[in-house]
Formats: sequence, C-alpha cells, structure tokens
Amino acid sequence: MVTKRRAGRPAEAYLPLPPATFHILVALADGERHGYAIMKSVGLGLGPGTLYGSLKRLLEAGLVEEGGERADPERGDERRRYYRLTPLGLSVVRAEARRLDAMVRAARRKKLIGERPA
Amino acid sequence: MSAEGLYRLLLRAYPPEFRAEYGREMVLLFRDQCTESDVRTVGFWARVLWDVARSAPVLRIEAWCESTRTMEVVMKLAAMLTLLVGVLGVLNAGVDAGAAYMGTIGGMHALSLVLSVFASILLLVAGYAILRPTEQGRQVARLALFASLALIVTARLLHPWMSPFSQLVGIGFPVAFLIALYWPRRALSSGAA
Repeated sequence: MVTKRRAGRPAEAYLPLPPATFHILVALADGERHGYAIMKSVGLGLGPGTLYGSLKRLLEAGLVEEGGERADPERGDERRRYYRLTPLGLSVVRAEARRLDAMVRAARRKKLIGERPA
Repeated sequence: MSAEGLYRLLLRAYPPEFRAEYGREMVLLFRDQCTESDVRTVGFWARVLWDVARSAPVLRIEAWCESTRTMEVVMKLAAMLTLLVGVLGVLNAGVDAGAAYMGTIGGMHALSLVLSVFASILLLVAGYAILRPTEQGRQVARLALFASLALIVTARLLHPWMSPFSQLVGIGFPVAFLIALYWPRRALSSGAA
C-alpha cells in the first residue's frame, strides 16, 4: 500500500479538488465504504478505472486510508477492501465544501440561481 | 468470451503495479456493474471503454513519472562520472599542452587543446551543478553543457585529429545530459487527485 503523506500541508493547499475526488471524499464522510458502495453513493457513473485511480491518489496524498478487508454483509460475497477518510481528508473535504458553498452564495447574490434569470 | 473475461483483457491497459494493487477490486466492481446493467448493450460497453480510455493513460503517465525518480539517482551517478571525466580531460589536455611547449605540435593544435581544457572545466562545472538539486543548478548545468559542447566541436573543427574516445566523451556526455535535463518531469506541486 502506498502511503506517501505530505505532512504539514494545509487543507487549502489541496483545493480545488477535481469533481470525482470531491464526490469520493463526500461519500466517505459517513464512514468507511468499499469501492462499490462509494460508486453507488457518488451516483455519477464513475467507472472502476476512474474510481480506483482517484483512490490511489487519495491514499498517496494521505486523505484516505485503508480500513481493512472484509465481506460486505449486504452483498455476502468476496472480501472487499474498505476505505475511510483520514483527519486530513476530512479537513480537505470540509474546506472544499466551504469553498463551493461560498461560490454558490456568490452565484445566488448575482441571481444566477435561486430565481428565474431575466 | 464472458464480459468479465473481456474486462480482464481491458485491464491490461493499466500499469502492472496498479493492476496488482487494484485489479481484483476493479473486477469485483465490474461484476457488480454487470449484475445491474445489461452487458449486451452498446451503451454499457461504451461506458466501460470510456472509463478505461480516460483513466488508463493518466495512470500510465503517473507510473512513468514515478519511475523517473530512479532517473534522479542515475543522474547523480552520471554527474559524478562527468566530474571525473572533466578532471581527466583537463589532465589530458595539460599533458598535450606540455608537448606543445616542446614544439612538437602546431598552433591550431595548441588552440584546440586550450579549447578542450575549457570544455573539460565546463564539464566539471556541469557535473557539480547537476549534483545541486535546484532549478538554478539545472540552469547552470544546461549553460555549461551547451558551452562545453560548442567548445569541443570548435576544437574538433580547428584540429581534425581527435581520438574517437575523446569525441565520444566530449560530445556524447553533454548531449546525453542535455537530453536528460530537458526531459519533461511531473510538477512537484500536483494536486491531491
């Protein structure tokens, strides 16, 4: 497993996050999940290559960590690898959510959303 | 061939290290997708191919960039060899210059020797600069290598006699290093994912 953490880097240094990355981090905010559960949670038609490519980078950046391997009780099949947010990952996804929220509020102030444009 | 078998073939587009780490998980995920979708439709395979086409090349490039870290070590060893070659070049030119003072070589030969001495000194400078892992060091190394190459070519033109080994070292070293120094590298400040 690759664990090249970038210690001391503030959460804001990782922003802006690519959309797929943000969705994966949001999916993991509830707790640890395996790849299929992340994909279902994201709901954007994320394929296995894009999902595991993003997870690999997130593991390398220290935003996500592996939570062990076990079978999903709901699916009851082969053992699956679970992933969870690290404290840094949680800080980064919060910072990105705040950034996006500020952008949405700015768009609302300019009446780009929230009411029918003129 | 089954859909999973076909997907296993597509997985070959990914770097071997990535396949070894995530291949099994990807096949499991694909199996899940198969249970939810009709694998006989064009749309399903179009999505699968699009996913492979957009993720595999990026991961290949990343894997290649990772391997260039090994290149950094090779560069350091080569830089030390350059320092050694530079010292030997200066000594060799010194011996020949001694012969020139004895009157056994002509003026052009003597001039080419002086140029060879400067070229060797520049190789020394380049070797030292490459050992410094800064962008300024790389700039100095590039300049020194270009200048060394120009001097050695001028020396070769002024005095046609030059041993094949000297030509190989004098021209081959700077050219090889310039290629290595101008080779594109991954930006250090790349994002999280």
